[in-house]
Order: sequence, then structure tokens, then C-alpha cells
Amino acid sequence: MSVFVEVDHVDRIFSMPNGNSYVALRNIELKIRKGEFVTLIGHSGCGKSTLLNIVAGLDQPTHGGVILEGRQVKEPGPDRMVVFQNYSLLPWLSVRENISLAVNRVMNKLPQGERRSIVEHHIDMVGLRHAADKRPGQLSGGMKQRVAIARALAIRPKLLLLDEPFGALDALTRGGLQEQLMKICEESHVTCIMVTHDVDEALLLSDRIVMLTNGPEAHVGQIIDVPFPRPRSRMDVVNHPNYYSLRSEIVYFLNQQKRAKKLKVQHATAIARNGLEKVNLELGFIPLTDCAPMIVAKEKGFFQKHGLEEVTLSREPSWKAIAEGVATKRLDAAAMVAGMPLGMTLGMNGKPPTPVITALTLSRNGNAITLSKRLFDQGVRTLADFKAAIARTPDKVPTLGVVHPSSMHNLMLRYWLAAGGIDPDRDVSLTVIPPAQMVSNLKAGNIDGYCAGEPWNSRAVHEGLGFVIATDLDIWQGHCEKVLGVREDWANQYPQTHLALVKALLEACEYCDDRRNRQEILDLLCQPEYVGSEAVYTRPGFIDSYNRGDGTAPQMDLHYNQFYVNKTNCPDHVEGLWILTQMARWGITSFPRNWIEILERVRRIDVFGQAARELGLQDMGRDRHPIYLFDGTVFNPDDPIQYLKDLPIKRETRIEEISLDELVGARS
Amino acid sequence: MTARLDARPKRFSSENLVSMLGKQAKVLYPPAIALLIFLVIWQALTSLPSATLPSPIQTVEETWELIINPFFDNGGNDKGLFWQVLTSLQRVALGYTLAAIAGIGLGILIGTSTFMFRALDPIFQVLRTVPPLAWLPISLAAFQQANPSAIFVIFITAIWPIIINTAEGVRQIPQDYNNVAKVLRLSRTEYFFKILMPATVPYIFTGLKIGIGLSWLAIVAAEMLIGGVGIGFFIWDAWNSSRISDIIIAIIYVGLVGLLLDWLVSQIARFVVPEEQKQG
Repeated sequence: MSVFVEVDHVDRIFSMPNGNSYVALRNIELKIRKGEFVTLIGHSGCGKSTLLNIVAGLDQPTHGGVILEGRQVKEPGPDRMVVFQNYSLLPWLSVRENISLAVNRVMNKLPQGERRSIVEHHIDMVGLRHAADKRPGQLSGGMKQRVAIARALAIRPKLLLLDEPFGALDALTRGGLQEQLMKICEESHVTCIMVTHDVDEALLLSDRIVMLTNGPEAHVGQIIDVPFPRPRSRMDVVNHPNYYSLRSEIVYFLNQQKRAKKLKVQHATAIARNGLEKVNLELGFIPLTDCAPMIVAKEKGFFQKHGLEEVTLSREPSWKAIAEGVATKRLDAAAMVAGMPLGMTLGMNGKPPTPVITALTLSRNGNAITLSKRLFDQGVRTLADFKAAIARTPDKVPTLGVVHPSSMHNLMLRYWLAAGGIDPDRDVSLTVIPPAQMVSNLKAGNIDGYCAGEPWNSRAVHEGLGFVIATDLDIWQGHCEKVLGVREDWANQYPQTHLALVKALLEACEYCDDRRNRQEILDLLCQPEYVGSEAVYTRPGFIDSYNRGDGTAPQMDLHYNQFYVNKTNCPDHVEGLWILTQMARWGITSFPRNWIEILERVRRIDVFGQAARELGLQDMGRDRHPIYLFDGTVFNPDDPIQYLKDLPIKRETRIEEISLDELVGARS
Repeated sequence: MTARLDARPKRFSSENLVSMLGKQAKVLYPPAIALLIFLVIWQALTSLPSATLPSPIQTVEETWELIINPFFDNGGNDKGLFWQVLTSLQRVALGYTLAAIAGIGLGILIGTSTFMFRALDPIFQVLRTVPPLAWLPISLAAFQQANPSAIFVIFITAIWPIIINTAEGVRQIPQDYNNVAKVLRLSRTEYFFKILMPATVPYIFTGLKIGIGLSWLAIVAAEMLIGGVGIGFFIWDAWNSSRISDIIIAIIYVGLVGLLLDWLVSQIARFVVPEEQKQG
């Protein structure tokens, strides 16, 4: 649908009495479709209400403007009715008179009888028939807010603006009113913008949640799509598989903003020492078995050894938070999923491109596909069984969890499904859930399976919730899994630091693959500040033989978590190219016609080579050879476009020349 | 539905009357006792041989004629107290009404327009401190007649609190109400009657109450100077004729009428001010 309201690069600068100016809002851009419910969320004083007032026309932007249906908003008007935080009912008028005042004024072309019936209809709609002749002073807060909503809706605004409408109400009243508002909005198809700081309220009501950063110079930090189907009920929303991940994402954002406020002073002061430009690093990781190299580098002193004296490991809630953290410079570097540097550089899913590079692969393998016990009981043992099971219940589409669009979990699960003739977007539904929440979602029955790293598959097996239908060893033995990602400008600014970081982690990887050290590493992983998992389900694959939970005997595989052996660490281009074809295949990014240039730039073999040479490690490079996957297809790195064309199940793919500097230049 | 059998309408019984009087007594006793003590002290002080003022008993004796017959009219200035007070009240009514109309109008003007506020407020602040009687000579010079001059003094005395309170009321209209008016695009008339007036009315009445008190203060003083019929001149005339008891009885009249005026404005306010807008 076309754009209904456009907030076009709005700045709002207040002049202060002391002659200074305060930039409340900076470069706010937002496009809202007709019928959409958008929530603005952020900390107090972040300018949410200012933005709402600008849309209402009660306040004027210093730069930019608001366009409603192609016309610029210059003054307030009844087409953009506001429900104010403190109701703003006229205390000397009764409920009916308050509503009539608006209706008589705005709909003065209608005959009187019709206007009266509109007023009465809306009094009934909010259930205030018994109080129609009372004045606001005789009503409770919740009733007053209902009058305000009735007054707003009665004049049929094109856009309904709600400024913390339920902020002053008790929880019970708030819940009831939220549901009433949701029902009314769905019935009358109003476009809404609501300001709130209640995360649950935002998730319940919104189609999109716009998170504003702290003022001064508040801007749109992140926009979350809320995919819950409508009509919604509170229980459905809370039980949706994505609810907690979305919620934690918003809470995480808000907490980040809170922290950013405190850190503003100390931030961006690089401490140079030991011939390095910056020795104080903040590294992000996700609690998984294969984050081991980072923890080992920290705990066993490899960072220290290479001069990185003040490294902090930051445990992040989701891969999205990792991407966000690196893009916003909060994190210096992070362990990323393999496709993330390429995806971020190209700008996946409509996000602005952020050039991110990788000079080190941290691990290979270590993933598995878990399906629920229910499917196991239906006799599903193989991919073909799964296809048959899906065909048997055409009315119920199984939901499978993946951890991030650019992760190997997503790409390999899709590849595996497609190879079995299952369209990953049509025959099943894929949803993004952070790895640590997979098991609880499987247990709750929100998802029917997932592809994730360890220990989360073994945990489901251990708890009897599911079984492993395939490990990545069955799909593509030795694929790259986690990589070290840093922003390109960061690497250019701190080249020696980057090199030291690669060297420290490379040594840590070597340490991790010495099986004599595995027990020690396991103890580290199980500490609560790292993975915090229990040893019993962290051991399989990492130390012990791997139990699939399908009745077969546990098998020992020394390559299940691979950190160093078999030339693990080189960020080679053939794998990167395969990732590019797969991301293009599923419409996550375009396929760059200039893939060689992109791969050269993102997967930095030169930095890796220098690190390896300086450590005295020989023969670390990987040969340029085709990739053989489980279904017998061979990926020929010399003709990726033909390969992409030959793939049977795919989305609409775009192939285009991608000039990174232009993309990045256009943004800044 | 259930009905309580003993729920009969309350009858007016002697028991009720007694208890009602008992309650009233609690309110009435203290001022009555205070009044009594005051009269006793007055009587005691004026019983001294060197006393220059009449005692309360003497006052009542000397003014008995005035007290029992406030309605006599012997022509000229020789009229009963009722007529004296009525004449003063007529002047006050005229001056005060003019002051109320002009004051509310000007108050709304400077309250709604920042420009007018900046322009006029300093002038008003200076003029309002001028004592009422200071206006009398200039108004006599302007009007050349006693009666319009007295009315002008009332007008100019009462208008300042009305202007200032009205303006304050307009400026204190909550931004929310103005926002509602803006969003609904209320016309000027609708804004005036639906929002501005109801929101400002309590402030206007505060101004009116102060204004009526000041006008009554001013009229007595003004009438002393301009002569003719009126309670002020009655007092002055009594002083000239050394009828001290008459002065005392007139002062009591002035006090009671002032109280009555104040009460009257409060009653109107109670009737006019919206329920939700009452202060305190």
C-alpha cells in the first residue's frame, strides 16, 4: 500500500532562554501506510510527544515536514485527532456535550439528526450510556479516557494520534481499554500513531514499533515489525513464538539507550598502548558452544599476550543485537554468523548497508536441525518423511525457528528443505528466534523445530522435547560457521589492533581444537556469565559422542565443533560466494554482479594471511575448489549466476552491480 | 426490588426542631457572646466622665427615630437611611456595571493577545495603585458635575482587579483545552463560549468580588466630598452637625450593606460558575 503519512526528515530545535538551542529531534524519517498502527517508544524526554505534536500540527518542525496524503501538515485539524494523555475533556460539559462539540463542529455539513446519532453511537461504542449526562469530574480515569477516545473516533479522523493514552490508568483498566481500542481500530480501519513506554502495550497493539534514541538529537534507532496476525487477543500475542524475542529486543534497545546515556562520557576514548591504537575492546558474543574461542582468548590470556589488555566480552541477547551493536559502534567487534558481514555490507532486508569485514573464521560445523517429539511420534525420521508429514496436514503449516536471516542455520535449513522439495517460505513458516529461546519455544509448542547451534539441540534431546533429524555434517561437512566481524572503518582506523585481535583469536582457536583442553573449556562455557548451560547437554559433540535422540546409538564425531584443524580459519571466498548465492536465492540481498570485488573487500584473506605469518603458522590458506553438498549438486565458484539460475526452488532474485562506496556515501 | 419497611419520609417533629436549633446554637453562640462583650466594653469606656463618644445605649436612644423609620423623606437631604443607602447603591451599581463590562472585555483582550498584554499591562499596573479619591478632582474637572464624577470614581476603582483577574484567567486556560480547540478548529465564537468563558469565569468572579468591595469603600469617601444624598454625605453631614450617634448607626449600615453586596456576588458566582470550575 502507498504511503499515507510521511514524516520527512524532521528536525525540531528549541531555543533555550539562555541563548543556546536544544536539538530535540534530528532527522526523523518515517513512512506510515494506511490502516497501520505505529507505536513510538523510547525513554522519557526522547521527544516522542514532540514528534506526535508535530504530526498533529500543534508544533512545527524546525526543518523537514509531515505529509498526510500528499499534503503538508501546517496546522492542527480534525483529520488528525489527538487523544491526549490527560484526556483533555472540557470539565463543564457532560460526556454527551463533549462528544457533540467535536461532532457538531467537524461534521457541520450533516443534518442535525445524523450528527446526534453519531454521538449516541459512539457513546454506546465505549459503553458509557449510563454516564452520558455526567460531567468528567464524576467519572473515573478509565471512563474519561473512553470519552476521549469516543470523541476522537466520532469525527472519523484519517489519523488517530494517541499520547500515552493509558499511562495514568491502573493495570486492569488499561488492559480492558487496550483491547477495546484494538477492536475499534480494527473495525474502523483507522491509521494510528501511539506514544507509549509500555513494551507489552506496544507489542499488543502495533504493526510496527519505532524506537527512538535518547535526546538530545533523538532519532529513529530501530523499527520492529510486529508480525502477529489480526484480530489479536492478548493470550495469542503472548503465546506467539516471536513474542519474547521481540519483547527482549525492545527491552534490550531501551536498556542500551539507558546505558548509552551513562557511557556517553567514557565512550569513544580509545586507549592506545603496546603499539596498538586501541587496547580497550568491547566484543559481542552469543551464548553458544562455538563462542569458545573468544572466551578462551579472554580467560587463557591470548588477548593479553597480544597487547589487548582491556577486553570486555558482552553477552548479547540475539544476533540482531550483535549486528546492531557493531553497526552503531557500541561493539568494537563480535563473533558473527557467517553471512552477517556480507549481509550487513550489502544491506539485507532493506537495512542501510554498513561495510563489515571478516578476517577470521572462528569455527566450522556445530549446528543441527531439531524437530519436535510430536513429529517424531508421527514417524518422521528423514527429510522425505517430513515432506510427507507436511503433505498430510495441509491446513497446518509447521513453524521452524532460525537464529538470523544471514546465518548458516537459515541458509542451510532452507537449502536442506528445498533439496527435499519443501519450499521454506510456503510449505513451512520460518521465524527468527534467538538461539537460547529455541528450546522454550519448542516446549511451548510455538515452533515445530529449529536449526541452531549447540548446546540447544542437545538440550532438546536431553529433555526429550525433540530429536535431531540432521546435523550440518550431513548437509555440508566443514562449512564455515562463526566469523569475527568488525566494521570496515574500524579496521581502517585501528589496523594494528585488528591484526592483534585476529592473532589472539587464531591462537585461541588452536587451543580450542586440542582435545586435551576441551574439559577445561567446557567448564568455562558452563559458567553463568558465558553460556551458563549445564555440562550434561553441553558435552555431546563437543567432548562426548553426539546423541540425536532418535533411538540410534550416539556417534563420536571429532569434527562436530571444529575450531582450527583442516584449515578452519581462513575466510575463503568460495564459501562467501555460496553464501551470496543463497542470500540472493531467498531474497535476503541482491546478488552482486561484482561479487569478486565484494568478497575481496569483506572476506579479508590479506589480514588473515598476515596474522598467520606473524604467528609462524604455515599453509593456512584454503584451496579454491568446488563445494559438494549432500544432495549431490556441486557449487562451481566460477559461474555463480548460472548456479543461481539452475536452483529449482527460489524467490525472485535480483542481480545487480553493487557499488559500496556509492551506497555508503549516499547515507552519510 | 426490596423496600425497607421503616423507610418512611421524615416528619417535621419537635424533636428535630430542637436538635436543629442545638446545632445552630453552636454556630450562633460565639459571635453573640463576642458582640455582647464588645458592647459591654464600649459601654464601660463611654461611661467614663472624660468620654467623648456616646455609649451604645445612648446611641440607640438618640437614633431611635432613624432606626425604626428608615423610609421617611422630608425632601432635600433629609431622608431616611434606606434612601441614603439606596442612592449610594445606585451610583455603585452604575459604576460597577460599567467597570465589569469594560474590565472583563479588557481582561480578555490582554489575556488572549500577548502584544496587547505587553502594551497595556505596565500602564494598568501603575494606574491600579492610585487611591480612589485621587481620581476625584480630575473627574470633577472632566465632568463638571458631582454625580458622574462619583460614578467614575467607582468605575475606576473597581475595574483594575476585574481586568487583572480576567486576564490571568484567560492566560491560565490549560494548554490542553486550547489544543482541543485547535485540533477541532473551533470558530472564534465557539472558542469564546465553549472554552474561554467557562474556563475563565472563576477568575472573573474573583475579580468581581474584589471590585464590589473596593467600590463600596470608594463610594463612602467620594460622597463625603461631593455632597447631596448618599450614605457618605450623610456621615459627613452628621459630623458637621455633631450627631455622633448618627455616624455610628450609619457606619453599621455601611458595614452591613458591604457584607450584603459581597454575599450577593458570591451567590451569583455560585449560580454561574460551572460545578467543576469551583475553586477551593
